[in-house]
Amino acid sequence: MFNSLKLALILVIISAAGGGFLYVKALQKDLDTAKGNIIKLEDAVGEQKAVIAQQASDFEDIIQIRNNLEDTNRMLETANRNLNEKFNKLNASGERRDIGALSTSRPKSIERILNKDEVNERRCFEIIQGAELTEEEINATKKSKINTVCPELANPNYVTY
Amino acid sequence: MYVDDIMEVLKGHFGDDKEFTPNTHFLDHLDGDEIDIVDVVVQISKKLDINIPEEDTFDIGTVGELINVVGKHVNV
Repeated sequence: MFNSLKLALILVIISAAGGGFLYVKALQKDLDTAKGNIIKLEDAVGEQKAVIAQQASDFEDIIQIRNNLEDTNRMLETANRNLNEKFNKLNASGERRDIGALSTSRPKSIERILNKDEVNERRCFEIIQGAELTEEEINATKKSKINTVCPELANPNYVTY
Repeated sequence: MYVDDIMEVLKGHFGDDKEFTPNTHFLDHLDGDEIDIVDVVVQISKKLDINIPEEDTFDIGTVGELINVVGKHVNV
């Protein structure tokens, strides 16, 4: 009777130990799977961080491009106003400037003026795209020394007449 | 006197309330532009019935320089 009980107890212990062993093995397998998943997740997080960093960089580029476009628009508006004034300016006697007649009678003079405007306009685009201002541009305070196409960009110390 | 004619043109163009001295700069003091200079040269040429070559007018910036350039052609 006692021996049977002892044998049964041993069988229970062996079964429990076997079950425990299998349970631990299963836990280890789950743990390995979890570790693998963590590594995959860490890789995914790294990739996502890289994507976020790229998006932030792209966003800054977009803001820069937008600012450049706004500067370009402002410059073109100023250039348009200047051109409008050049072509339609009224003198003190109320006579409207006849640019066509002046171009016919003084073609070289008008061509020189328009060429200078073209050079100024190119310089404005350079400044918009990040070119640094020269000392001469920074120090210009007189109308005869400024870039008349985009003085607000090229000549920070110029105060309009 | 051709200078009087020049002054008359300048006053008509820029306003007779403006001050015109030899050092008066068309852009810096009269808020003009380079086409204004071309314009007044054309008006002066017509008024005095003279021909001023374009090349002679390229460097005009002040009233004094305008008077000098016109003077060269009035006296010829």
